[in-house]
Amino acid sequence: MAVVDWVYDGLLALLVLGLAAGALYSLSLYRAVVFYIALGLVLALVWARLGAPDLALAEAAIGAGLTGVLLLSALKHQPNKARLMGWPWLPGLTGIAILLLLIMMVKAVWGLPQGMAAVGQAALLAVPESGVEHPVTAVLLNFRAWDTLLEVLVVLLALLALRQLTLPDETFPDAWPLLLAWSRLLAPLSLLLGIYLLWRGADAPGGAFQSGALIAAGLLMLRLVGLSPALPWSRFGVRLSILIGPTIFLLAAMATASLGAGWLAFPPDWSKALILLIEVAATTSIAISLALLVGSDSRELNQ
Amino acid sequence: MNWALLSLALPLLSAFWVLLVRRAVSETILFATLVSLTAALAAFYQVQSDPVQTLLLGDWTLPLAIRFELTSLNALLMVLTATIHFLVGLYNRFSRHGSGRYSDYWPLSAVLHSALVALWLSRDLFNWYVTLELLTLVAVALVTLSGPKAYRAALGYLVLSLIASLFYLLGVALLYGEYGVLDLDRLSALAVDSANTRLALLLMVLGLMLKAALWPLYLWLPDAHANAPTAVSALLSALVVKGPLFILWLTLTQIAPVEFAQQLGLIFALFGSVALLSGAWSALRTPYLKTLVAYSTVAQLGYALITLGLLLRWQTPELATALWLFVIAHALAKVSAFLAAGEMQATFGSKELIAVRGASQSMPLAMFAFAVAGGSLIGLPPSGGFLAKWILLQPLFAEPAHWPWALAILLGTLASAAYVFRVVALAFDRYDVETELPQTDALAQWLSLLPALVVWGLALISQPLMLWLSTGANP
Repeated sequence: MAVVDWVYDGLLALLVLGLAAGALYSLSLYRAVVFYIALGLVLALVWARLGAPDLALAEAAIGAGLTGVLLLSALKHQPNKARLMGWPWLPGLTGIAILLLLIMMVKAVWGLPQGMAAVGQAALLAVPESGVEHPVTAVLLNFRAWDTLLEVLVVLLALLALRQLTLPDETFPDAWPLLLAWSRLLAPLSLLLGIYLLWRGADAPGGAFQSGALIAAGLLMLRLVGLSPALPWSRFGVRLSILIGPTIFLLAAMATASLGAGWLAFPPDWSKALILLIEVAATTSIAISLALLVGSDSRELNQ
Repeated sequence: MNWALLSLALPLLSAFWVLLVRRAVSETILFATLVSLTAALAAFYQVQSDPVQTLLLGDWTLPLAIRFELTSLNALLMVLTATIHFLVGLYNRFSRHGSGRYSDYWPLSAVLHSALVALWLSRDLFNWYVTLELLTLVAVALVTLSGPKAYRAALGYLVLSLIASLFYLLGVALLYGEYGVLDLDRLSALAVDSANTRLALLLMVLGLMLKAALWPLYLWLPDAHANAPTAVSALLSALVVKGPLFILWLTLTQIAPVEFAQQLGLIFALFGSVALLSGAWSALRTPYLKTLVAYSTVAQLGYALITLGLLLRWQTPELATALWLFVIAHALAKVSAFLAAGEMQATFGSKELIAVRGASQSMPLAMFAFAVAGGSLIGLPPSGGFLAKWILLQPLFAEPAHWPWALAILLGTLASAAYVFRVVALAFDRYDVETELPQTDALAQWLSLLPALVVWGLALISQPLMLWLSTGANP
């Protein structure tokens, strides 16, 4: 049993290193992007092996999926598709610097105390009072909800930053029938899966970020084959769906501070309902924001 | 504490509101900033009777909760942030060269305001990472407001800042792995002098120095600050680089083992001395006005770095008063300098420094604002800059062994006088007779003068100011 584990983990580690090297050092940008997407998928497996399914889900959906699409669409607008530009000595130099850092980090991490951190123990003990059963959701939406509020804001800010840039108009070639049929099937499925992940987040791996990313992926798929309607920033409904997540989160914080026990201190009877409300709103915002971040063009955002 | 929370939440809420309804954008944000300023003042008033207020977010106990702490130092920083945001907002609204009443400058600057207040209040290493991330993104977005010519600078800023974030995060992760807590006080109680602590702190220091543009990791700053719209340059130079400095100061004074802090302190003080001279040298040589002001930020951050270094070297927490006085005085003076420089650049229609020739005749107010702000940057009495320098120099003069540091600071003072007078002398040059005087905007020039007057006004309240800073800085 142990031997099989070792072989499996060793293969995963080798794959990660090989794919990372491929992404960094392949001469064709297109190939580098493909390596990078594969790297994201293998990393998701690594997280799953390390017992962190929440991270695995997020890495697969955001790291491999959405970032992959983003890189590919950026590649499309590159004037020179063939080769990687830049200083020839830069990759080697960064490689050496990272290797040195890696050696120091490995030495440091080797000596770290085993077992669970003090905060981790405290968090596990407090989970029953948090209103949800899954420890990761309890940390994200209750114990450290303030961090999560700011992180949701980061997504909004990324979109606002993108809005300042002049984006090219996106045109996609006509989709062939099979792709069209598949996306008609997959897009509703991704919505369903997204909602399931959101609902399940209360007692098992899942939650707003993963669910939002999955729904965004579905939206993107429809967009690539030309089935999705435009989501222009100038429309009130679009802005509302993008802003609702951070707004509800902030209003919940202000309400608990002025009416209740304190900033983001959810009353025990209400905490499940409040967390669900915040998660639904955040998922909506994250899904629409991510879809626009990855697949929007000047007609939608620059108005 | 509730006043502080109000001051934190209002700009954010108003940003969401104007993004949603897109009406009365500038008015809403300016009003919200004014209310936030009032709330910050109320928090500051409150903290006088109850010097250290703690809030555990979510009502959880330590080490689980994120901790907020309100002292007179960060209440003062909140007041400073709101004041500067308000003054710069007024300029951006009423000057002809502002970014317009409906641009995304308004919600972005409001988010910047809230992110900074969140940073001042927090005492949690990971929460600080998130606030740093917000600050970076919002700053980059603000830089891109000036259009495609700023894209390159913005991208450089973004990439370097993300690398810095990763260094900081790596350090935090290592500390968490070693001690299992993220709260500053808990870490300060637990931390011992080990190789891991040192490596973690070193990584964090690298990241924070890069973010705060401290010498020698400042190369992104002149480009980004000079290419941004004027109001944004003022916000970036005055406020954004001070956030990482705050974290650097707190982590090193609270967590770092004494011996390590002393070694770092020496390096900081040396780097700071070099920054003073090299920043001033670049400011003396650049042909562009706003780049000159941006390099002056590099030089002025040298004072902060020397002060922080000596504070760590001699383990004298009293020097924190000088550090934060520098920060406050520099913030106000730099806002004036950037607004005046931007106004002149826009009026004369040229980025070149040479364009200000004769500005003392055509734009006397803007030139006066620049000179007054420059006076505080040099440290002329009775400005805020002088006050800070005086507090720093007193312990240096006391012992002959410390005189080399005093010499470095005096040299830096001379160097900053040189670049300020480079502009002033040119402005007092005469016009050619046939040159037509440009159309000027008196209101915008007055608005650029306001922060400079405030920084000179600091001298009037120097006694209580020093008291507030010293109680807030050494709880």
